[in-house]
Amino acid sequence: MTTIAETAARRRHAGRTRLSAKHREWIAGYLFVLPDALGLFVFLGVPMALSLVLSVFEVNGFGGYSFVGAKNYLRMWNDPLFWKGARVTALYAVMLVPLLYVCGLGLALLVQRTDRFNAVMRSMFFAPHMVSLVVVALVWQFMVVDKIGVISKLTAALDIGGFSFLGDPNFALITIVLVSVWFLMGFYMLIFLGGLQDIPRQYYEAAMIDGAGPIARFRFITLPLLKPTSFFVIMVSMVAAVAGAQAFDIIYVMTKGGPANATSVLIVYIYQQAFGFGAFGYAAAMASILVVALMIVTAVFFALTRGGRFHHEQ
Amino acid sequence: MSDNKKAFPTLTRRGLLKGGAAVAGGIVGLGGFPYINRLAVRAQETPLKFWQFYAPGGPVPSQVAWFEKTVADWNDSHPQKIELEFIPNSEYISGPKLATAFASGEGPDIFIISPGDFLRYYNGGVLKDLTPFIDAAAKADFPESVIANRMVDGKIFGIPMEVEPMAMYYSVKAFEEAGLNENDVPKTWEELLEVAKKLTTPERFGVMFETQPGYYQNFTWYPFLWQGGGDFQTPEGKSSFDSPATVQALKFWQDAINSGVAPRQIMGAGGHDTIANLASGYVAMQNVGIWGISQLQSNAKDFQYGTFPLPTPPNGKYVTVGGGWAFVANANGRNSDAAGEFCAWALASMDQGSIDRVATWCTKGKSDMPPRNSALKAGGGAFSTGMIGKFAEEIHPGTRAEPRVPPEVYKIISDAIQQTQLGGADPQATATAASQQLDAFLSSYQGAPIL
Repeated sequence: MTTIAETAARRRHAGRTRLSAKHREWIAGYLFVLPDALGLFVFLGVPMALSLVLSVFEVNGFGGYSFVGAKNYLRMWNDPLFWKGARVTALYAVMLVPLLYVCGLGLALLVQRTDRFNAVMRSMFFAPHMVSLVVVALVWQFMVVDKIGVISKLTAALDIGGFSFLGDPNFALITIVLVSVWFLMGFYMLIFLGGLQDIPRQYYEAAMIDGAGPIARFRFITLPLLKPTSFFVIMVSMVAAVAGAQAFDIIYVMTKGGPANATSVLIVYIYQQAFGFGAFGYAAAMASILVVALMIVTAVFFALTRGGRFHHEQ
Repeated sequence: MSDNKKAFPTLTRRGLLKGGAAVAGGIVGLGGFPYINRLAVRAQETPLKFWQFYAPGGPVPSQVAWFEKTVADWNDSHPQKIELEFIPNSEYISGPKLATAFASGEGPDIFIISPGDFLRYYNGGVLKDLTPFIDAAAKADFPESVIANRMVDGKIFGIPMEVEPMAMYYSVKAFEEAGLNENDVPKTWEELLEVAKKLTTPERFGVMFETQPGYYQNFTWYPFLWQGGGDFQTPEGKSSFDSPATVQALKFWQDAINSGVAPRQIMGAGGHDTIANLASGYVAMQNVGIWGISQLQSNAKDFQYGTFPLPTPPNGKYVTVGGGWAFVANANGRNSDAAGEFCAWALASMDQGSIDRVATWCTKGKSDMPPRNSALKAGGGAFSTGMIGKFAEEIHPGTRAEPRVPPEVYKIISDAIQQTQLGGADPQATATAASQQLDAFLSSYQGAPIL
């Protein structure tokens, strides 16, 4: 005859043994992820959900709320500045992402090939990324100021001057893109370096024995095997261009969205509506649309590139 | 091992529940204890927060000293203490700090605002009616032209601490280098551009108007609109932006850029920064307000400069714009009565201390014209001599108060200025389009009057 306590202990023991190693690993994995997941949920998921709720209210910024349904979304549809912002954002991303890709990869290849000054060059190219973005923007603002800025003087000396880098709507966005590239390329260089180091050297040695030149090696070995890294770089830089803090900080410090709204990307316009005009509901609606647009673009890109996976992994 | 067990007893589920219940019960139970009550009393005694943007150790030390003395004097004589809190200028003016604070119910008890922001805060319901704290004599001490844009329905919601008329400043050295002297000071728009052309060199621009979009740019552009008899709305509250005066004013700023005598990009903190633009030699003439005197005096003592009233267009009349910040109290603050009382005590009492405070701010703190008749008298000679005297005599008499507009109106005007000044748009087409947008907004606007 067994006691009740013995039966319970046996059940507990039996329960433990039922968990397979796979399940235990599964539980452990999720427990490890739990703190981060909770953080993401509290600081990202909840604000995003609240932002979506906020977008159907008219909020004056002083505690006044009134439900307006889709009014904020309709307003967006009829707001030329929203569409202007969308166009500027798209233009900014279209210029920034390929340039960052080319410069980041170019630097990584350059640094990888240098043996003697490898560490110095890596530090040098990464250094801009360590400086405060506001300081970067202010320094560049000074360097390209009309007439007396170092860059302005240089372009004037080369007889390609006569324009204002930040004061002319035709050049302001390009200038912002170039400063953004200068600031960010060191970061992407490091990511590419990681990707390049993962490519086995034997592939290159075999290719060289077969007589493949540097261009062929780059085209048929480096580029294909960098596919996962490239996917990551393009995705991250696209998100940074569309909704990143870097884009906002550089633009806000250097031009405040001007001249004539030429650099007013959506994130700047959203900020202006929320904090300048107190239109929190309208800003939330625009932010929601921006997130949805970004998700769609990401999904399409993901589908087209198969998430950067190699073919043999499918 | 056994020691460890003693030091870290095993936490059972039952134990955890018991402990949790005890803590929860304790928290609830403490509500009735005198200690907690004392905490509540202490919360009431917490100093009221006074937000402003004059940084400790900032560029003009006398301004910070004035704020500190004002608060210290109040704290010495009143039970409800006040504490100064510095907010960087970039976060304060059109920045996120105030907006986020009020949105989260944590707005300051006392703060300062310009007319450009008045309607946002008034329409948001956070401005305290300060009229009960101001006696009739003090109210009458503020000229109507100064106080009107801080009033709604005869009640005062903001007490101005200064009047800041806009003018033109010029570099004596630049004038001399171009073979000019004070007799060549331009009186018309046409002359201004001609003189600016003579002053323009490969290293320097002849004249500067604000180029960055924002409340400040609109503020500096208004006089040019008014000088030709223009305005942005009629007395009936409809748009009057589509007028020859608007087109003329937009075109004038555009011409200054297109002729190459004015920069598209400015230096330093913005168009209000005389040190980074005028004193540095980047421009020879700068459109800036009376505060430039104290800026230059504090940071470029050896710089020789002169001032002159804004030139006028053909058939126009002289008028300039007078800005200025005002003390306001948060109607939803922790002790809004004390906050309101402080604002009135500081700037709007007939007590000599209050009058002297205003006069001191305008003469020693920040070269300004006083917003009170009594302070003008108290300042005495300071307002009739030197550069401030010149402002008082020649520039200030044509001052019209800075308009107070809702953000939507500001943006429409701002875009019109930007599109023509830097975007090269046609002034007439821009004025017409902006006027239509203004009409669309004004027809549905329901807040306090736009002035």
